[in-house]
Amino acid sequence: MSKEVLYGLYNDEEDLLHAVHAAHDAHLDIMDVYTPFPVHGLDDAMGLDESRLHIGGFIFGALGLLTAFLGMTWIFTADWPVIYGGKPYWSVPAFIPITFELTVLFAGIGMTVTFYIICGMGPGVINKTLDDRITDDKFCIAFDTHDFEETGLDKIKEFFSSTGASEVNIKTL
Amino acid sequence: MNREFVFTGRERTFCFVLMGIGVLSMVLCFFGDDELQTRFWSNFLHNSVFFTGIAFMALFLYSAFITGWSGWHIVFKRVWEGIYLFLPVGLILMLIIAAGLWLDFHHLYEWNDTSALNPDKLHDQIILGKTGFLNKFWFTGGTILFVGIWYFIATRLRGLSVAEDNEERDPNFSKHRKMRIWAAAILPIGGFTSAFLIWQWVMSVDSAWYSTMFAWYAAASWLVSMLCLTAIFTAYLKGRGYLEQVSHEHLHDMGKYIFAFSIFWTYLWFSQFMLIWYANVGEETIYFRERMDSYPILFWANLAVNFALPFLVLMRNSTKRKYGSLLFIASVVFIGHWMDFFLMIKPGVRKTAEHLTHAAGDAHHGAASFMSGFTIPGFIDIGTMLGFLGLFIFVVFSNMSRASLYPANDPYLAESIHHHV
Repeated sequence: MSKEVLYGLYNDEEDLLHAVHAAHDAHLDIMDVYTPFPVHGLDDAMGLDESRLHIGGFIFGALGLLTAFLGMTWIFTADWPVIYGGKPYWSVPAFIPITFELTVLFAGIGMTVTFYIICGMGPGVINKTLDDRITDDKFCIAFDTHDFEETGLDKIKEFFSSTGASEVNIKTL
Repeated sequence: MNREFVFTGRERTFCFVLMGIGVLSMVLCFFGDDELQTRFWSNFLHNSVFFTGIAFMALFLYSAFITGWSGWHIVFKRVWEGIYLFLPVGLILMLIIAAGLWLDFHHLYEWNDTSALNPDKLHDQIILGKTGFLNKFWFTGGTILFVGIWYFIATRLRGLSVAEDNEERDPNFSKHRKMRIWAAAILPIGGFTSAFLIWQWVMSVDSAWYSTMFAWYAAASWLVSMLCLTAIFTAYLKGRGYLEQVSHEHLHDMGKYIFAFSIFWTYLWFSQFMLIWYANVGEETIYFRERMDSYPILFWANLAVNFALPFLVLMRNSTKRKYGSLLFIASVVFIGHWMDFFLMIKPGVRKTAEHLTHAAGDAHHGAASFMSGFTIPGFIDIGTMLGFLGLFIFVVFSNMSRASLYPANDPYLAESIHHHV
């Protein structure tokens, strides 16, 4: 389904933050905000919930921990027991470094992959961008025009001009 | 604006009550002790080392932050200044231990009772081979010299920091530049000398044993305890209406430091344990054999309290940003690291005492029998700890009341006030 997006570009993150607050106060429903780098306080201003990515990280980490620990337990006690240096088959201290490594590995890779899936990114995927400059030096607030069929787009255009947007464009994605 | 800290009568009374409990515990301990006063002096050493180390670590981290261009800690830097100015008291406490080496009023260190060492016994031979370093001259000289240097640099830093408050804003930040020089100096000096003192003060209670990880491990324990106390003191001052610029953002970063250095401590603990376990050399494994057999509760509780608890609780964002959860963890972990030092010092001292009182007997076999104050901390040991804590709080609060809690002209103050994680 294609979307018609009306967006305004700002030159400065301070202007952007003020504009997001102003939009919130005017009850304008922002579709999304795009910035070239993380802007402090933007999450709060947009009223976003805390990311749940770290819960995924914990689960992936726990999975890595269990994989390593149970895997080594099975290998060294049931599958192929070998005595190393007179230690018991089930030598927990020797398992801990590998358990640690796999915990980090699973959490790291798992979170990266999850993040890519959530964002719809991946190798070979070309995402449509509103404007190339939002990956460089422009800060963008985007509105979905479908949300404003009743009130009309003038209200948003007025909002952009009053908050100091340097450019206002419309684009169909 | 509530910037001048007032050390109120109620707080003084609280400190004196704690110190009273400490004195009472120490008196009870002294007169109910064995002929070598083992429990009394091991408690004295344990708490002196613990609180002196905390003071040193405040100085070390403070200097590391200055050297690393850090800004976020400025709003509560006067708390650290208060803590590191405990150093002269720590020096006196450690000099009492040093005096005991000369006057023989305690027998904490097997290497000091050279007359009881038998050159025909392998265990004693090892200790005699170390007496070039483990002797009362090095112990006393090192303590005076190194803690003296720490204190000297601490006074320079504190002096410059307070002087900055009272002058007109200096566009060249000349005082801050001087502080950077002293701070950069204490980092290598403190890094090496603290290891030296940990070997002398703590590791040498197990005179025949050594570990190259030990100095780092004990220092990490000091560092985590210091961070916990910082969080507790800061929250207390905040509750009394001071430090109004300290926000949840600063609390969050303190929580991160407690979290991170708890993991760092565990890393060192485990590295020391695993290398010794893997190599399986008898003269090295004896340290853990002793602790796992005779002190199993403390040994495993140590890991649970100092690693598992802060790791699982402080992992979440929200627990680091709330006073309740952070203070709970800080208090428990502080006690946990006190127990960690208990476990470093008590078994060695106890073995030394047994060695001296049964000089003719062989090394004991199997698990040592239960003994309150050694196997687990008893009321007397906890009381002694409260006494030292009272003294510590008294010194820290007195120092904080001598200067404004608000470092008005620090170049990083604005950055710290607007800190956002």
